[in-house]
Amino acid sequence: MKNAENANYTQMDHEVNITKIKGMEILPSNMAIKKYEWIREYFKGEPKEGYFIWIKEQINLPITTCMNIASESVSQNLQNLIIIEKNLKINLQGSCNSLKKDLCGRHISSGKIILKENAVLEYNHIHAWGNEDIVDTNYEFILENGSKLNYDYKINSTPKKIKLNTEVICLENSTANIKIIGNCENTDLEINDNIILKGKDSSGILKLRLVGKENAKILSHSRITTEAECKGHLDCQGLPIHKTAELILIPELVCRDNQSQITHEASIGKISEEELNYLKSRGLNEQEAIDLIVNGFLED
Amino acid sequence: MILFKELTKKIRKYFMVLEIKDLKVKSGEKEILKGMNLKINSGETHALLGPNASGKSTLVQVLAGNPRYEIAGGSILFNGLDITKLPTEERINLGLAIAWQNPPTIKGVKLSKLLDKISKKKIEPEELGANPGVLDRSVNLNFSGGEKKISELLQVISLNPKLVIFDEIDSGLDINKLEKVSKIIKKELIDKNVSVLVITHSGEILNFLKPEIINVLVDGKIICEENNYKRVLKTIKKYGYEKCRECELHADGP
Repeated sequence: MKNAENANYTQMDHEVNITKIKGMEILPSNMAIKKYEWIREYFKGEPKEGYFIWIKEQINLPITTCMNIASESVSQNLQNLIIIEKNLKINLQGSCNSLKKDLCGRHISSGKIILKENAVLEYNHIHAWGNEDIVDTNYEFILENGSKLNYDYKINSTPKKIKLNTEVICLENSTANIKIIGNCENTDLEINDNIILKGKDSSGILKLRLVGKENAKILSHSRITTEAECKGHLDCQGLPIHKTAELILIPELVCRDNQSQITHEASIGKISEEELNYLKSRGLNEQEAIDLIVNGFLED
Repeated sequence: MILFKELTKKIRKYFMVLEIKDLKVKSGEKEILKGMNLKINSGETHALLGPNASGKSTLVQVLAGNPRYEIAGGSILFNGLDITKLPTEERINLGLAIAWQNPPTIKGVKLSKLLDKISKKKIEPEELGANPGVLDRSVNLNFSGGEKKISELLQVISLNPKLVIFDEIDSGLDINKLEKVSKIIKKELIDKNVSVLVITHSGEILNFLKPEIINVLVDGKIICEENNYKRVLKTIKKYGYEKCRECELHADGP
């Protein structure tokens, strides 16, 4: 996805390139609010940059967005809006990258993703940052009745500082499966996630897999809130693999309806010596064995 | 043909795969192996029997190079090279392979992925008794007893080894599964002249594998080395391991 010239929306620093396809409208956010007055309510003030993607018909190919920082000290301030119309099944691939390790970029991004009735969204979002970048994202998903979201959010290389706020609102009979994967090194990561199950028979699963490598500071507040007869499950797992890593995982279950059910599991544990010895007895050296275990943990 | 086989057998003697010399191993203050000797030649199948706490599991850990065990004396030679202080992965890369009795679970790592990562030769898991589903599951996670044994077999065969040590491969297997596992060991290893050391508590598997030499380990020492495995099994079954101490073939001496 890096440098993807054929992405539907590509932003290189502040320069935008759009590839249109049938069945979908895609515009820079600042142009979109002039064309469609009704979308103003989804933005905070006047958006400077970012995209508006409105999927109106079934599209069977993945829709792709690619945000890049390519120059030194660039500060992106994005407001994005995605609307998926009723009954559509959509695959969305998003990536946010720094093209070099030492660009000292700033990526501030907020937005809303709205799934209309019975829409299904498979959303894979991959982040790969430079060592000196600062990232702050704030997203809200609204799942209307009967809709379904599978959201995989993966941070492959962490910036200096990163804050991720995600809120998912589930209306009647909707389903949210959220997975956040962080492979953290030399970073200060703060995660605030909340799935709010508002509608009857809605369900939500929130899964976190966070690896703490050298100088990783991880603080995660993960919450599932029930406001109707519904089911939620929270699964937070941390794997510290360096003595300088600090992991704080705070799972929260908030019940506001006595017919709802929420469960959680949370653990932080080092790599077991038995697993390491076993993989060494298959001819892998220590680093190869650790890499295999870490990748397995993140994929689980 | 018989002459050729005899000749091959004699030639093998000149190619020793494993030689354990006067090996003494401690765990904490306790001496577990007390001067053990064992020689395995190229292409030979050996059995090692012993009661609980005789030192069988310690021997496997030490051969694997587990640093938790302190070697107080003696040496281990593999293909003539002293591997006593060699790290585990280097021993494996020389051609030593171990099928573990109780392998750990590696969550998130599919068996197919592990095989891809470690394989030194191409294998066909289905032909070696693996059901296709097991390859797509995390290594040993909710594997049945039989699936664990097949998984271990696939891994050691894929390492293209010169010597395989089976640590209680027969434990927890019913007679049908035992026969299935034995057939694979025979076809993929023994018939291909790979040396095999079968460590067993019950000895049941030996009726399928028919080892050329059987060794009895009692109290940290090999006290019997014998060609007729049936005779040794019969003696142990009838009189227990204590009878081996009185045997005139007593290997390491009293």
